[in-house]
Amino acid sequence: MNHSLKPPAWVDSLIDSLSPPDLSEEIRGDLYEVFVKDILNKNIQHARRRYVLNGVGFLFKSFFWKKPSYHPKPTPMLTTHFKMARRSLSTQKGNTVINVLGLVAGIAATLVILAVVRFELSFDTSHTGADRIYRLVRVSGDDMSEFRTGISYPVPVAMKEEIPGLSNMAAMEYFGGANVDVIDPSGTALRKFREESGAVLVDAAFFKLFDFGKGGLTWLAGNPDKALAEPLSIVLTKSYAKKYFGDENPIGQTLRLQKRYDAKVTGVVEDFPNNTDFPFSILLSYSSLTNLNPGAWNEWTGVNDGHSVYIRLPEGMTQADMEKQIARVHAAHTSKELSSSRHYLLQALGDVHFDARFGTFSGRTISRETILALELVALFLLLTGSINYINLATAQSVLRSKEIGLRKVMGSNRKNLVIQFLIETFLVVFVAGVIALGLSEALIIALQPILNLRLTHYNFTDPAVILLLLAIIAVVTLVSGFYPAWTISRFHPIDALRNTFTTERLGGFSLRKVLVVFQFTITQVLVVGTFIVVSQMQFFQNVDMGFNRDAVISVRVPDRSVTGIKVLADRLRALSSVARVSFSYTLPSGVNRSHSYQDIGKPEAKEMKDYVVFEFGSIDSAYVGLYQLKLLAGRNLIAADSSRNILINQQLVNSLNLGTPEEALGQPLKWNGQIMTVVGVVNNYFMNSLKEGYDNIAMRTEPGSYSTVSIKLQTREGKSLMAAVKDIEKIWKENYPEHVFSYQFFDDNIRAFYAQENKYAQLFQLFALLFLLIGCLGLYGLITFVVNRKGKEVAIRKVLGANVSQILVMFSREYVQLVAISFALAVPVAYYVVDSWLSNFAQHIPLSWWRFVLPGVLVLVIALVIVSTKSARTANANPVDKLKYE
Amino acid sequence: MSSRIYLGELEELILLMVALLNKEAYGVTVAEELKAQANRELSISAIHAVLHRLEEKGFVKSKMGGASTERGGRRKRLFSITAHGRNALEELRDTRDLIWTLIAKTAAS
Repeated sequence: MNHSLKPPAWVDSLIDSLSPPDLSEEIRGDLYEVFVKDILNKNIQHARRRYVLNGVGFLFKSFFWKKPSYHPKPTPMLTTHFKMARRSLSTQKGNTVINVLGLVAGIAATLVILAVVRFELSFDTSHTGADRIYRLVRVSGDDMSEFRTGISYPVPVAMKEEIPGLSNMAAMEYFGGANVDVIDPSGTALRKFREESGAVLVDAAFFKLFDFGKGGLTWLAGNPDKALAEPLSIVLTKSYAKKYFGDENPIGQTLRLQKRYDAKVTGVVEDFPNNTDFPFSILLSYSSLTNLNPGAWNEWTGVNDGHSVYIRLPEGMTQADMEKQIARVHAAHTSKELSSSRHYLLQALGDVHFDARFGTFSGRTISRETILALELVALFLLLTGSINYINLATAQSVLRSKEIGLRKVMGSNRKNLVIQFLIETFLVVFVAGVIALGLSEALIIALQPILNLRLTHYNFTDPAVILLLLAIIAVVTLVSGFYPAWTISRFHPIDALRNTFTTERLGGFSLRKVLVVFQFTITQVLVVGTFIVVSQMQFFQNVDMGFNRDAVISVRVPDRSVTGIKVLADRLRALSSVARVSFSYTLPSGVNRSHSYQDIGKPEAKEMKDYVVFEFGSIDSAYVGLYQLKLLAGRNLIAADSSRNILINQQLVNSLNLGTPEEALGQPLKWNGQIMTVVGVVNNYFMNSLKEGYDNIAMRTEPGSYSTVSIKLQTREGKSLMAAVKDIEKIWKENYPEHVFSYQFFDDNIRAFYAQENKYAQLFQLFALLFLLIGCLGLYGLITFVVNRKGKEVAIRKVLGANVSQILVMFSREYVQLVAISFALAVPVAYYVVDSWLSNFAQHIPLSWWRFVLPGVLVLVIALVIVSTKSARTANANPVDKLKYE
Repeated sequence: MSSRIYLGELEELILLMVALLNKEAYGVTVAEELKAQANRELSISAIHAVLHRLEEKGFVKSKMGGASTERGGRRKRLFSITAHGRNALEELRDTRDLIWTLIAKTAAS
């Protein structure tokens, strides 16, 4: 027929695709008949028009959309599927439990990990225009290797005056550890508090820059614009106002800070959210800096790392433009030497939380690599749970071949079978998902100390969480259910009914091997990695840092005067529970201590480059003895020493090329324009964590600068350290009734260097355990199945003379091979990861071969134990029981 | 009139056509017959709808007929009236006849 005489094809396809299949033929037939008659009676245009009208007319008829009632065809039978799934799951209880357990572990861990990731990613993202907020950071050193946040005080002032367009800028000074006393009108302290979370100096500009996304933090009392204007004005968060004043009106009350500064409460704001790197609770006006640190405004060189500056980039200005402007301003006010070695750069607010080089006020950063690693772990945990399911389901499929065969004979098509198996999978995953949701809540609470999450509960009502869970369930269902459903439904009905399959003949078997290897490769990487991480942590705890750290506590001294110190020293030394007492400016090491860096050089030094930077310490004569520093040459400092006699460490001797420690003795050194004399050289010790190397150190006696007392406790039998601390506290209370006794064990202080690493180590132990658990569950399920299937084979072998050990070897050989292959695959990956991690530390354990083999053997042994205990029962069974029914 | 029979005017008409066409009834022929006998022009889709409705109610039954070239090789669904359908039609006719005789009587008197 001529092409132009054909009816419009789109109407046909419309009807074909929409109508019930058995209707389209007759409808199109009728339409066509009318069409042909129309052509004969009238013309083609008319016929086509009628064809369209008639065809479309069907769409408006209800019967067209009805489910056809003649020709019964297989309905989806959703409820039947659920019923069948429930039945088959309950007949294989063991497998179902293994699958559910594995998936629960995987899904719960994933939910927790994703909650952590979401929390970390949410830091300070809510501020309006957050993408144009930048932090000013200080990068210094010839090789730009020193990354700090501290900005000299006059810098923001000069920037504001001299950079056109820069209007939105907030400078703030954060100091951790504040003494806060509530003062009554007569000036006596009513209540005393020690706030380790510290206080911050800010002004109204802070709230202009950071609005926390809801049009600013709500002010519950006080004028937002004026509350932080006057020096020594204080704004509290709601919970702190309650803590200090209870139900009294806080406005107009007085708080005494650091025992010296009386500040008036001028406002109360809502508590700061959890996910901010500005965890402020006590806000002092920025102008108070004049009182606290009078010389600050002219100090272009000195820097306090608690002093941070944030700006909003003016419109039309790029980061590079602004950095140029800042460099210009800085150069205009400082010497060429300083401005060429110190650079003020900008860091986007979005990077602040993820850049460990600089640190944050909240004390937490997390690198993007860590987030990626966490996400990968979550993915792999889900995957390994799915692998269990795939392995067990394909292994079990033989048992179900009769069912499949019968279903096929009864007219079930492949699509239906696939759906049925997917629904079975879905049921398992869904149950696991629901349990996991409950478990994740418990986990978040239990892991609080490790994760430091500041999330008190899992947010069940958050639609994102529910959506996430549903997405996980859907994806896991498809990933774990599709392959088994596909292979099982492929069975030929006759073969299936005659049960001519054996496990080995299934295509799934080799895939199962691959999956087991994959699963154990991930597990081994984690186990090996965890083993090495934990070893490194042990190394940190136990390595000789160059000083003794046992049974030492440190307390800050409130009264630094020479007489005050003498009184305290005498009283402490009189205690039987105190072995030694030493006063110093700072501690030899640890996280909580003061740092003071200065320059020292040979007497002929002229330029900056002739000097080296060292850490300064002022100590008394007992210091070296208390910390058991070793004198390599010369003598210890004594009380009679003038402040010109110094004690230096080996590293400084090397840095200044003073030769051997003996040769260094008596050498003059220039420090602060004065000539010092070296009287002694001590061994190198780590002032900072082992992540860094040795520092240059020089120490001298300087009565009046001692702000810390170190007390070596007498450890005797029958008396605990805590009892000794109690004694000291009593003395303290008598001596300083005004002050809270707040002490810290020195080894805790050092341990805090590795708080972050310790958390990771704990987390990775947990992950490794989870992987091992899920992997072993899967192995257990597989071996159970194989052992049950091979009961007869074992019986015949035994009858023919095989002994139990031969049979055990027969069962174990394959799994040992698989675990060994996965170990071989895991080692290079683990080596690469662990090696790059260890390179973060200046001091680390050597990567010897046994550190890989030991955990590998451990996993192998665990696998072997599982396989052999399970197969032992079959191997020991009496062959008669298995064979007598034949 | 039996209370079990619900036949609309169009349904009755088409049921009559199916009876008339005697096993040759399908969409197109019913449409042509309606035009020829009752001068009613209905769209094909409307006729299909009524036929389906009648089948649901059990007045007609259907089976697929043979393919023919005039339909581009497609089969047609051939409808035939069931005993129930015939009873319904007869009952309707009887009712009407009865009423007409009554009308004739009243008109005559």
